Amino acid sequence: MPTATNDQLLERWKDEPAPLLPLLHALHARDGHLSEEALRAVAKGLRIPIADLFGTVTFYHHFSREPDGLDRPRVCDGPVCSMRGAEVLMASLRAAGHGPQPMPCPGRCDQPIPVIHRGTVLTGRTASTLVSGPSPLPPAPPDGVEECVFAGIRRPGRATLEGYRHHGGYDALEQAVTAMTPGEVIDVIDASGLAGRGGAGFPTGRKWRAVAEAAGEPKTIVCNADEGEPGCFKDRVLMDHDPHGTIEGMALAAYATGAARGFIYLRYEYPETFDILEGAIAEAEAAGLLGDGILGTDFSFRLMVRRGAGAYICGEETSLLNSLEGKHPFPRNRPPFPVTHGYENLPTVVNNVETLASAPPILVHGADWYRGLGLGDHAGTKVISLSGDIARPGNYEVPLGLPLRELLHDWAGGPPPGRTVQAVTMAGLSGGFLAGADLGVTLDEPSIRSKDSFLGAGGIMVFDDSRDMIGVTREAMEFFAEESCGKCFPCRIGTQRLVERLEGKGPGTVDAWVDEVIDLNEVMKKTSACGLGQAAPLLTQSLIRYFPDRIRKHVAQGGGGPAPATKGRRR
Amino acid sequence: MKRNGTPSTNGKGVRLMMTLDGEKVAFTRGETIYEVAERHRKDIPTLCYDPRLEPFGGCRLCVVELEGARNPVASCTTEARPGMAVRTRTAALEVQRRILMEMVASENRDTDVDPMHGYASQEMAELLDRYDARTGRFEGARSGESRDDDDNPFIKRDYDNCISCYRCVRVCAEQEGDYAISIANRGFHTQITTEFGGLLKDSACTFCGQCIQTCPTGALGDLKALANRDVPGETKKTRTICPYCGVGCAVDVMTREEKIVGVLPAMDGPANEGSLCVKGQFAFDFVGHPERLSTPFLRDEKSGALRPASWDEALDFAAGKLRKVVKDHGRRAVYGIASGRAPHEAAYMMQRFIRAGLGTNHIDNCSRA
Repeated sequence: MPTATNDQLLERWKDEPAPLLPLLHALHARDGHLSEEALRAVAKGLRIPIADLFGTVTFYHHFSREPDGLDRPRVCDGPVCSMRGAEVLMASLRAAGHGPQPMPCPGRCDQPIPVIHRGTVLTGRTASTLVSGPSPLPPAPPDGVEECVFAGIRRPGRATLEGYRHHGGYDALEQAVTAMTPGEVIDVIDASGLAGRGGAGFPTGRKWRAVAEAAGEPKTIVCNADEGEPGCFKDRVLMDHDPHGTIEGMALAAYATGAARGFIYLRYEYPETFDILEGAIAEAEAAGLLGDGILGTDFSFRLMVRRGAGAYICGEETSLLNSLEGKHPFPRNRPPFPVTHGYENLPTVVNNVETLASAPPILVHGADWYRGLGLGDHAGTKVISLSGDIARPGNYEVPLGLPLRELLHDWAGGPPPGRTVQAVTMAGLSGGFLAGADLGVTLDEPSIRSKDSFLGAGGIMVFDDSRDMIGVTREAMEFFAEESCGKCFPCRIGTQRLVERLEGKGPGTVDAWVDEVIDLNEVMKKTSACGLGQAAPLLTQSLIRYFPDRIRKHVAQGGGGPAPATKGRRR
Repeated sequence: MKRNGTPSTNGKGVRLMMTLDGEKVAFTRGETIYEVAERHRKDIPTLCYDPRLEPFGGCRLCVVELEGARNPVASCTTEARPGMAVRTRTAALEVQRRILMEMVASENRDTDVDPMHGYASQEMAELLDRYDARTGRFEGARSGESRDDDDNPFIKRDYDNCISCYRCVRVCAEQEGDYAISIANRGFHTQITTEFGGLLKDSACTFCGQCIQTCPTGALGDLKALANRDVPGETKKTRTICPYCGVGCAVDVMTREEKIVGVLPAMDGPANEGSLCVKGQFAFDFVGHPERLSTPFLRDEKSGALRPASWDEALDFAAGKLRKVVKDHGRRAVYGIASGRAPHEAAYMMQRFIRAGLGTNHIDNCSRA
C-alpha cells in the first residue's frame, strides 16, 4: 500500500467531526513521530495556530517528537508494576537495545508488566518473554451473586454481533425505539438509581434528562473510555469482551436525549480495544442498529471512536471535551456544565463505559431489578478492579455495600501466604489509602467517604505488610505530578512539592515536614480546580493518618537539608 | 473587555441581589463574583487575572466561600447568581492564600524585580508582602527555563521567574490575535514556548510587548526600558497619545529628568485599552538619539552638498519656494506630509499651515497605518 501523503490524510479527516487526534495518529503511525513538517501541514489544513498545535502535541505522553520515537517500547512503572519488577524489565529491554521509556499505568494490572510497542500491548517480565494476547476475562463471582454488566461477558462469541444478539442483545434498544418515548427511557434509568460509574457518581437519569431538556442541536453522547486511573482496568474488559453492550448503551442515551452523534473517547493505551470497537460499530451499522433510520424508525445516531494520546487529565470530562475539539486539554471552568455546554458548546452527555453498559440490562430487567442487586439501601453494582498483593487480581462486579474484606478474602483469595493486608488504595490512587480498622468499610460511597476517601472508579490496589508505604506513596504521587495539567497553581506546584518531600527532601524535622505536607494537602484539597488536585493529597493525608511512625523514620533518615535548587524531575 | 455596568433587573423590574460579606448588593446579569466584589472594593488577590482577558481560574488566589458549596470557588470564573451568599475574606481563605503565595514564591529564582520590567511586574511581590509570604517554606525545584539565547532587542524571556499564569499566552491570543506563544509540556514542567521552541523573531510574534505588560512577576521584561534602569532620577509618568498612527493609543511616557526611559500602555486608554504595537511600545529612542538633526540644513544649489543653516535662513528659503510654487502652479500644487515622529502639536500646526495658510486640503501623515 502506498504511503498516504499529508494532503491525502488531511483530505480524509478535515471535514470529519473531531479531526485533530485521528489525523495526528495517522501521521504518527506513518512517520514514527510527529515531524515539524507534518505539524505545519496539520496547522495549515485545520487552521490551528502552529504554536498552539505544537504546545498541545507536547501535552500528550505518547506523541513522540523524536524520529523513531514510536519505536521505543513504553513500560508501565505504576505502583503495582514496580512491585512486580518493572525496573528489571526496563533493564532487560535496555540490554536488548530497545531504548525503553517509562509510562503511567496502561490498565493491565491483572497481568504481568505491560509494554506498548508500535501500537501493540505486550505483557511479560523480561524482554524475551513478552507476549500479546486478549485481556483476561473477569473471574467468576461466588455462587448466587447476580451481575449486571458482566452477566453475559464470559459467554463465547459475546464480542460479535451474533453472539450479543443471541442472548437478548439490542432488545433494549429495539424496545426503546419502537415502544417507549425518550422520557420513559429516562424514567427507568432514573428509577434504577444508576449513578456515574467513572467515579463522580452523578445520577445518570438526571444527566440524561438535563441534556434532553437543554436547548441546542446537535446533541452529543460521549463515552468516557479514557480509563487513566492507575489500577483501573474494568472499562477495557467491558469493551474488549462485550463491545456491543457499551454501543447499545450509547444508542439508548442518544434516543433518550435526542442526540445525533456520539464519540467513544478511548485511551491510547488500549490499541486492541480500538480495533474491536471499530469492528463492532461497523457490524451494528450494517445491521441497522446504528446510523440513519435505526431499526426502521426515524431515529439516527452516528457513532465514532477517537483515541487519546496519553494524558490522565483527559479522563476529566471537560479536559476530554477540549481534547476532542483539538484544544489544549486543560479542564474547563464549571459551571457551565457539559449537559448544556459540552462538545462544541452544545448539550452533551459524558458517561463512563460501565455506566453506559449498565443501561441495556436495566431497561430489559427493569429499575427494581437493578436496585435490588445492591445490598441494603445501596442500588446496583460496581465493578472493582483489584490488583497488587492479592491471590486472584481481576475485575469483580460486586453488589454495592459488600464488605471490603469479603471481596479481598472470600472473592479474591486474600494476600499472599503468610502476609497480611497492610493497606489498600481506593479509587485507583485518587482515594488515597485505607488501612487498619478502616479496612472494615463496605464498598459504597457513604461508607468509604466517612473515612475521608472515596470509591470512585473502583480501582483497589492491595499492599501487604512487606511493602514500604513511603515508597508506594512516592510512586503514586509521582504519577499525579507527572499527570498534573499545569493549569492551576495548587496542583501544579503541590504535587511536585509532595513528591520531593516523599523523596526525602524538604524540612529536616518531623514537625516541620508534617506541617508543610498538611498545608499542601489542605490547600490542594480546598482550592484545586479539578478532581486531580483535590484528590492527590488524599495519599499523603492517609499516609500521615495511618503510618506516622514510618514518617518519623523517613524524615530522620532521608529528610533534612534543603532540596537542591535544580529543575524538577522529568520522566 | 468586560465593563461593570449599572446593576440590572431580572426583566420583571426586580433587581438582582446577592449577599457579599453579609451585605446585600445588586449585580448585573453575567457579572462574575470577582467583578461584583471589586466594585465593592473587596480587593481580592489574583495573579492570573487581567480584566481584559477571559477569566482563567488558574492561580486560585481569588477563591471565596460560597454558602452551600463544599469547597471555595474561584470568584473570577463564577458568575453571580441571585441569592448567592459569598464571603471574600475569612480567616481560612486568608490562610489558604498565604500558603498559595508561599508555594508560588518557592518556584521562582527572584521574588523582587525592577519595576522597569513592565506594567504588572510588581503584582507578585506586592502580594508576597501583603500575605507576609517570604518565609522560604516549600523549598524545592524551580520551574521554567529562561531563554537567554533569544537575542531580540525588545522582550526579555526570563522564565526562571515564570509562575505559569499564562497571561502572556492569553493576551497574545485574545487581545492581539497573534497566537505566537503557547504552553508546552504539563504540570510543573509547563513552559511558555513559541512554535517548536524557537526564537520570537522566527515566530508569529509582532513584538507588540503586550505579554511583557501583563506579566505579574517580571519573567518577561521590557528590554528597552530595562536598558535605562540605571538612569538617575525619579520616574515620572506623562499621559499622552502615541503619535505614530491614527488609532490614538493612550500611553504613559516614563521620563527621568529630561530623558524618556520607557513607555507604558494606558490600561484605561479609550482607543487601546492597554494595547500597543511595536512602534508605540518600543520605538522612542530616536528622541534622544545622538544622530538626530539639531539644526536645519540647506542644499547648495551648485554642489548639491548640505550645509548647516540658521532657522531664519532656512524658513525664508522654504517660504520663498512655497510662494513660487503657489504663484506658478496654484495652491493645489502643494502637498504636505507630517512625520509620525513629530509631536502632536507640530502635526496640528502643520495641517493648519497647509489648510489655512496655503488654502489646500492636501495634507497627510506618514503613519496612515
